[in-house]
Amino acid sequence: MSTFISGGAKNGKSFYAQRIAKAAGTPLYYVATMIPHDAEDDARVLRHRAERAGWGFETLECGRDILSCLERADAGGSFLLDSVTALLSNEMFAPDGIHADAHLRLADELETFVRRAPNTVLVSDFIYSDAALYDDLTEAYRAALAHVDRRLARCCDNVLEVVAGRVVVHKGVLPL
Amino acid sequence: MVFILGGSHQGKLEFARARYALTDADVFLCAEDTAEINLSRRCVAGLERFALNRVRAGAEPADALCERLGALRDSVLIATDISCGVVPVDPLMRAWREACGRMNNLLAEEADEVWRLFCGLPQRLK
Repeated sequence: MSTFISGGAKNGKSFYAQRIAKAAGTPLYYVATMIPHDAEDDARVLRHRAERAGWGFETLECGRDILSCLERADAGGSFLLDSVTALLSNEMFAPDGIHADAHLRLADELETFVRRAPNTVLVSDFIYSDAALYDDLTEAYRAALAHVDRRLARCCDNVLEVVAGRVVVHKGVLPL
Repeated sequence: MVFILGGSHQGKLEFARARYALTDADVFLCAEDTAEINLSRRCVAGLERFALNRVRAGAEPADALCERLGALRDSVLIATDISCGVVPVDPLMRAWREACGRMNNLLAEEADEVWRLFCGLPQRLK
């Protein structure tokens, strides 16, 4: 069963995502999408690893070309992909320049990912409700992430919003 | 009256077009220079931009809409929810954010149907 989760920062998305992934069976994979760039990122990675310790996740590092991590894993297992936001950022703002249409390929790849690995939980960030007028590039990134979110909301079995640690079911069920 | 709310890029207008069989000609899309809503269209979208225009002019968008409620009884009204970020440093953005909150509460109170769009999925609030 596939589940898409979004919501604001620090509302408990990852906690629910971990519980849902763990309940879905084994082998249990954590797809780590962040590419660390500095000491702050390194510290964040260590903190996240400490938070996951004891859950039984095998970590698959994959910041780009997301389908490649399935070559290193059993697609019948349970996957937690955290986060769609970081993946898009890596693909859109790549070392060789800005890829304005990265979201189209990423949406296709993530749909394929969910088809090949049906027990996948994907986490994204709800960055669409603040009072700000953004520059064109930031606005393009928001529109691009919304495109990927909406494609995933369409193809996943469950769509959940996590608000202050509570879950709103927009589609399907809370698979716990 | 129908009021549709949600974050930016969440599929509000797409939902309205499908559910209420709207064509391009039915939709009035507010821009930042929209000082007056075209009341002859069945659907008014981008109300947060109309609100920004009114706030810049020192006016209260909720009051402007209140005066036109009679003409909006059969309308589909769409606004982006901008209420969930950090309190903006810029006083204009702060005033805009609060004016939008008052406007949205008014419209949700007056509307017969209220919908919220999340990642393209509609949730009926009223």
